[in-house]
Amino acid sequence: MIELKINNKSIQAEEGTTILKAAESLGIEIPNMCFMERYSNHPSCMICVVKDQNTRKLLPSCAMPVMNGMNIITEDEEIIEARKDTLELLLSDHVGDCEAPCKLSCPAHMDIPLMNRLIMEGSHQEALQVVKEDIALPLILGYICTAPCEHACHRKQVDDAVSICQLKKFVAKFDLDSKKIYFPEKNTPSNKKAAVIGSGPTALSAAFYLTRFGHEVMIFDKHAEAGGSLIKAVHDHTLPVEALYSEIDYLKDFGLKVQLNKHVKQEAFNDLKKDFHAILLATGSENSNQFSINQFDKQTYTTNLEGVFAAGSIVRKEKMAIRCVAQGKEAARSINEFLNGKSFTNKEKRFNSKFGKLLASEFDEYLKESTRDDRYTPENGKIGLFNMDDAIAEAKRCMHCDCRDRLNCDLRNYSEQYKASQKKYLFGKRNEIKKNIQHEFVIYETEKCIRCGLCIDITTKDKEHTGLTFIGRGFDVRMQVPFNYPMSKALTKTEKKCVEACPTGALAFK
Amino acid sequence: MTTEITNRINQILQTYGGQPEKLIPILHAIQKEFNYLPEEALSQLCELSEITPSQVYGVSSFYSQFRHQKIGKHIIKVCVGTACHVKGSMQVLESFKRELKLDERQETDSKGLFTIEKVACLGCCTIAPVVQIDQITYGHVKIDQVAEILDDFLNQNGQSVEKVKNASENFHEIQGEIRIGLGSCCVASGSEGVREELEKTIQKSKLNVDVKQVGCVGVCNQVPLLEIHKKNEHPVFYSKIKVGEIKEVVHEHFRPQRKRDRLKTNFFNFFDRIASNQDSISLKRYSSNIKESPITEFLDGQINIATEFRGVLGPTDIEEYKKLGGFSAFNRAMKELSPDEIIDQIEKSGLRGRGGAGFPTSKKWKLVKNEKSDIKYIICNGDEGDPGAFMDRMLLESYPFRVIEGILIAAFATGAQKGLFYIRAEYPLAVERIREALKICRNEGLIGSNILNSGFSLELDVFEGAGAFVCGEETALIASLEGRRGMPVPRPPFPAHQGLWNKPTLVNNTETYAMVPWIIKNSAEQFNQIGSENSKGTKVFSLAGKIKRGGLIEVPMGISIRQIVDKIGGGMAGEKSFKAVQIGGPSGACIPASLADTPVDFESLEGVGAMMGSGGLVVLDEDDCMVDIARYFLKFSQDQSCGRCTFCRIGTKRMLDILEKICSGEGNENDLSQLAELSEKTKKGSICGLGKTAPNPVLSTLTYFRDEYIEHIHGNCPTGKCQALIQYDITDDCIGCTKCSQSCPVDAIEFKPYEKHEIDIDVCIKCDSCKQVCPSGAVITRSNILRNKVIAKGERLKQSVSN
Repeated sequence: MIELKINNKSIQAEEGTTILKAAESLGIEIPNMCFMERYSNHPSCMICVVKDQNTRKLLPSCAMPVMNGMNIITEDEEIIEARKDTLELLLSDHVGDCEAPCKLSCPAHMDIPLMNRLIMEGSHQEALQVVKEDIALPLILGYICTAPCEHACHRKQVDDAVSICQLKKFVAKFDLDSKKIYFPEKNTPSNKKAAVIGSGPTALSAAFYLTRFGHEVMIFDKHAEAGGSLIKAVHDHTLPVEALYSEIDYLKDFGLKVQLNKHVKQEAFNDLKKDFHAILLATGSENSNQFSINQFDKQTYTTNLEGVFAAGSIVRKEKMAIRCVAQGKEAARSINEFLNGKSFTNKEKRFNSKFGKLLASEFDEYLKESTRDDRYTPENGKIGLFNMDDAIAEAKRCMHCDCRDRLNCDLRNYSEQYKASQKKYLFGKRNEIKKNIQHEFVIYETEKCIRCGLCIDITTKDKEHTGLTFIGRGFDVRMQVPFNYPMSKALTKTEKKCVEACPTGALAFK
Repeated sequence: MTTEITNRINQILQTYGGQPEKLIPILHAIQKEFNYLPEEALSQLCELSEITPSQVYGVSSFYSQFRHQKIGKHIIKVCVGTACHVKGSMQVLESFKRELKLDERQETDSKGLFTIEKVACLGCCTIAPVVQIDQITYGHVKIDQVAEILDDFLNQNGQSVEKVKNASENFHEIQGEIRIGLGSCCVASGSEGVREELEKTIQKSKLNVDVKQVGCVGVCNQVPLLEIHKKNEHPVFYSKIKVGEIKEVVHEHFRPQRKRDRLKTNFFNFFDRIASNQDSISLKRYSSNIKESPITEFLDGQINIATEFRGVLGPTDIEEYKKLGGFSAFNRAMKELSPDEIIDQIEKSGLRGRGGAGFPTSKKWKLVKNEKSDIKYIICNGDEGDPGAFMDRMLLESYPFRVIEGILIAAFATGAQKGLFYIRAEYPLAVERIREALKICRNEGLIGSNILNSGFSLELDVFEGAGAFVCGEETALIASLEGRRGMPVPRPPFPAHQGLWNKPTLVNNTETYAMVPWIIKNSAEQFNQIGSENSKGTKVFSLAGKIKRGGLIEVPMGISIRQIVDKIGGGMAGEKSFKAVQIGGPSGACIPASLADTPVDFESLEGVGAMMGSGGLVVLDEDDCMVDIARYFLKFSQDQSCGRCTFCRIGTKRMLDILEKICSGEGNENDLSQLAELSEKTKKGSICGLGKTAPNPVLSTLTYFRDEYIEHIHGNCPTGKCQALIQYDITDDCIGCTKCSQSCPVDAIEFKPYEKHEIDIDVCIKCDSCKQVCPSGAVITRSNILRNKVIAKGERLKQSVSN
C-alpha cells in the first residue's frame, strides 16, 4: 500500500492507483475530460492537474500513480489558473458555436434551431411550445419583430437568412387555429397575487409567465384597449388587429385578468400595494418617474420600493418589441423569486464558444445539413403567412448551427466554471470547419475535437477492425479514419461509447 | 499490380514478421521498395499481418521519414538545422524551389525528377548550409549555385564510379600510411571520392602505401582531411583536399616505381605553387610540426575520453581497437568486478547522463539492477534529433566498439540481457557502422549468449528511428520501439521500473556509454579529477556556427564558453563580433557574449537559464537576429511536439504565433509579456521534457536580448534578418559589375554595366542573391520601417534611395 496525503487527509491506496482515483475515494472531485475508466491510457487535456506540495510540481492526476509520501492538493490558485490556461488554449483551437448565432442574438434567446427542426418534422405544435418557452406573443412578434436573429443567421452569408420570424408566426397561427390550443402547464397555485400596470408587450409577456408560475395576475391599463404600444403597430398596418386580439384573448383564456380604463394613480397604487404581493410597472415610456420611484435596477427589475418592479420602456426606452417581451419574461422570473421568498439571482450568462463569420469555403460544409433552396417568402410578404409546405421547406433551410452537445459539453461546462475566455489566445487564422456526416447516426465535426484521443482508445480496445487514429503530430494532429475510409467503417459497434465519451461536440449523434 | 504488391509485402513480412511491434522496420522496408508508402501496400500490409489500419496510419503519419506521396526520382534534402539556418538555409531552399519552378505547396517538379524536402538536421553543421541530393552531399551551398549543383548532380549520377582495388599486396615493403577520415562530414565533403582517387593513384603508381580509413577526426571544417604517415617522420596533414590534388600530394611523399621524371616535374610545380603562396586551388596544407597550426590549436585543450584515439582508430577495425586497450575494461568488469562494484565505480567517477538532463548514471543503473524481472532491457539512445548536434552520430560512426563496450559493461552491471541501439534514420552511416561492428562482435563472441564463456549473455540489435525528435525522450523512444507513435508518457513509472514491454529498462545516451570503458580502464578517480565540482569528466560538443573552426570537440567540464569559442574555435569567422552561443538546441538557451565566462557544466548552465542539452553549440555573431533564433527553435519544437498534451500542442503554437507577429513588425509590448507568461505556463504544464524545455530559447532571448525584441516591436530588425522588416538597397560602393543583376531571379535589378545598379523594391523578393554575389559589399539591407508606415497610410510612395 502507498501512503500519501490528499488535501491534508492521509490515505492509503494500492500501488498503481491514480491520484484521481485516490481522491475520488475521499470524495474529492477533480475535473477531467480526457479520462475514461479502463479506456484512456494517456493524459492529454491537462485539466486534471493537481499539485504535489513536496515538489511544487503540477501533475496530471488522471494518469499519475500515487507515490509514497506525496502531499497532494487538488485546488489552489495556481491549479485553478493552470486549468483555466488549459481551457483557454483548447478554446483557441476549438472552432464551433455552442449556440446558434440566431439564438444568441435573439433578445429572448428563443431556441430557434430547435423550432426549425420541429417544423421540418411537421411537429408544428411542439415547435410552438419551444417558442412559448421564451416568447409569450409569437403571433404578434411574427408581424412586428425586427428579427435580429435573421441578421445573425449564418445562412445569410450563403444566400439569404432563414425566415425565422415568419416560421415563428406560422407555428403561432397554426396553434391558435388548432382544435386544441397549447396552454403550458402552470405551477401549483401560490396564492400570491401580482398586479401588472400597463398592457403593452412587456406587461403581457410578464403576465403570461407570472400566470405560468402559479400566481394570480391582474393587468391594469388606463386605456380602453389592451395592447399599449402594440396599438400603434395596428394603426401603422403592420400588425393586424385580429392578431393582437387573438393573443390577448389567448392570455385571458390562460387565466390572467385584464382591467381596462383603470388609471392607476398614487392612491390606487397604494391600494394595489395592500391588495397585491407584487406590482410590476410596465407602463411604457410616457409614464416614468411616478409613485416616488426613483431607482431602477435593470439587472433584477427591482425598484427602490420593495415588491414593486419595473420593466420595459419605463426603465429605458425600448424600440424593439422583442426586447420588451424578453424583459417581461425576465421580470416575471424576478418577481416569482421574490414571491417565493428567494432573492433574485440573475441567470449567469452561459459560456459560449463562437467563431464569428463562416468562410466561403465552409458554405458547402454547412449546407450538408440543409437544402439549397432559395429563401421562401409568403404571399403578401411580411404581412402574409407561410403555407405549411413552404414553412417546412423554409425550416429545412436552417443549417443547425447550434452544437449538438451544448448541454453536456465538458469543455463548455468547465469553461464556464473556470471563467475561461476564448479570446485570450485567439490569434492567427482559424481552422476551416469540416463536417463528416457520412455515418448513418454519427456526425464528426473535426474542428471541435480537442484531440483527447478517447474515441481512438475506445475503438482500439473494443477491437473495431478499422477504428480511428491520430494522423500527424504537433499542433496539426487530428483524429481521423485510417485510409480515409468512411466513418461507417470505423464505427461499427462503438459509436455510442465514442459519442458519449467525447468531451465536446466533435462526435455526436445526428 | 495488386498481386505484385502482395508478393513484395509478403516478402517483407517474411523478413520481419508481422507483429505490431515490427511496424516501423516494415514501413522502412516498404518505403525502400517503393520509394514511398503506397496506400495499396499499406492496406495489403493490414490484410496480411496483425497490424491494424489505425496503427499503420497513426504511425506512418507520425514519423517524418515516411512519405505517403509519390516523389520525384531524386530527393533534395535541404538541411534546416541551426548551423544551416544561421547560414541562410531558408534562402537556399527558396532558391531550389525557384530553380525547379515549384510554388509554395509543391514539392515535386513537373518532370517528376526532383522532390524537395526540409530536413531537421543532417548533422554536417560544420559545412553549413548543407544540401543532400540522394546520397551526394553538398556543403557551403550558395544560393546562386543551385543550378550548378543540380547539373553537377545529374552529371555525376549518370556515371558509375569505378572501384579500384588497392594493389599494394604486390609489394613487400610498406612505404607508409595515408589516413583519411570517413565521418559523415568528411564523406559529405567528398572524402569517398578522395579515397577512390587515392587508391587509384596508388595502384597506378604501384606504390606500397596503406590507405587507412579512420573515424571522425573532429576537424570537420577542414575536411576532407588527409594525414600522411611515414616511418620516422612527422605526420603531415592536408585539409580540404580535392580529388584533382590527390596525385600531386601522394607523389610528393611517395616515389612511384616508374615515370620518375614526370613526377619530378609535377612535384616541382606543386612545390613552386606552395612556395609562391599561390593559393589558386583551395588546397591549404598544415603540417603537424608547425606548432601554431590551426589543427593543433583545435585539438589542443581537448581531452579525449569518448573520442580516445581520434584520427587513429579505424571505425570497424576491432583488432586495432583491442590493441589500443579496447574491451579490456569489459574484461576487467566481467572478471574482476561484481555488478555492485562496477556501479560503485561509476558512482565514484561522478558520471552523469550526457543526454541533457545530467541524471547520475549510477543511480539509473542501480535502479535497474535492483529490479527483479525475468528479462531486462538496455537501450542506447542515439536519436540525436536536436538541430545543430552531431555528437552521437560521430561517436557511433567513429567509435562503434567503444559504445558497444560501454553497453556491455552496463548490461553486465544491471543484468540486462537484451539491448537495442535506437539510431536516427537520418544517420545511415552510423547505422551501417554499428551493424558492421555488431556483426564483428558477434563473430568474436563479444555479443550473444555466454559471452567469452562467462555465462553472461547479451543480444544487441539496431533499431532505426523514423524522424521524430521527441523520440529522444525515453518514454517516447520506448513507444517507438514497441511500434507505436512516439508519444511520451508521464513518469513515474520510470523505464528503470517499467520500460520496454513493461520490463525494467536502462536507457542511456550514446555518449554516456562511450565514457564508461575509459572509467573502468583508467579508474573512477582519474575521471573524477577532470571537470568541475558537480560535473565530472568531459563533454563532447558539436561546435558550429560563425567560428573559424568548427567540429566535434571533447572538452573537460567546466571549461568556459570563451575558451571554446576563442581557443578551440579560433574565434569568430570573418571579423564579426561574437554575440551569443546557442547551447542545448531547442531545449537550450542563447547565452550572450557578456556571459561567455560561464563554465560549461550542468549547474552553471542552468544558472544562466540554459541547459547542457545533448551538446550542440552554435556560435552566433552580430549578424544573427535573436528573435529569429527564438522563432526558429520554437518552430522546430512545435513541429516536433507529439501533439498530445495541451500546453505543448497549443501553447508552443501560440507562442510561435506571437513570435511571428513580432518578426513581422506587428507586435506590441503586450505581446512580450504574454509571450513570457505563456512560456512559463508551457514549462510548467507540459508532460514531457520537450514541452517543458521548448520555451527556453524564448525565455533566454527575452532575458538577454530584450532590446532586440523591443526594436522589432518598433518595426526594426537590427540585424536585417527578418524579411518583413527589411529592404535591399545598393550603395555608392557599387562598381557596376552587373553580378547582382545577373543573379537576380526576378529581374528586380536592371543590367547596367559600369553604372550604379538599383533595386526595384516592389519586384524584389528578398532572396539575398545580390548581396551574396556582390564583390564590393555594396548591397545592403536596411530597415523598411518608413516604407511600412507609408504603405499603412495607403500611399505607394517609395522610400528614396538616398535616405
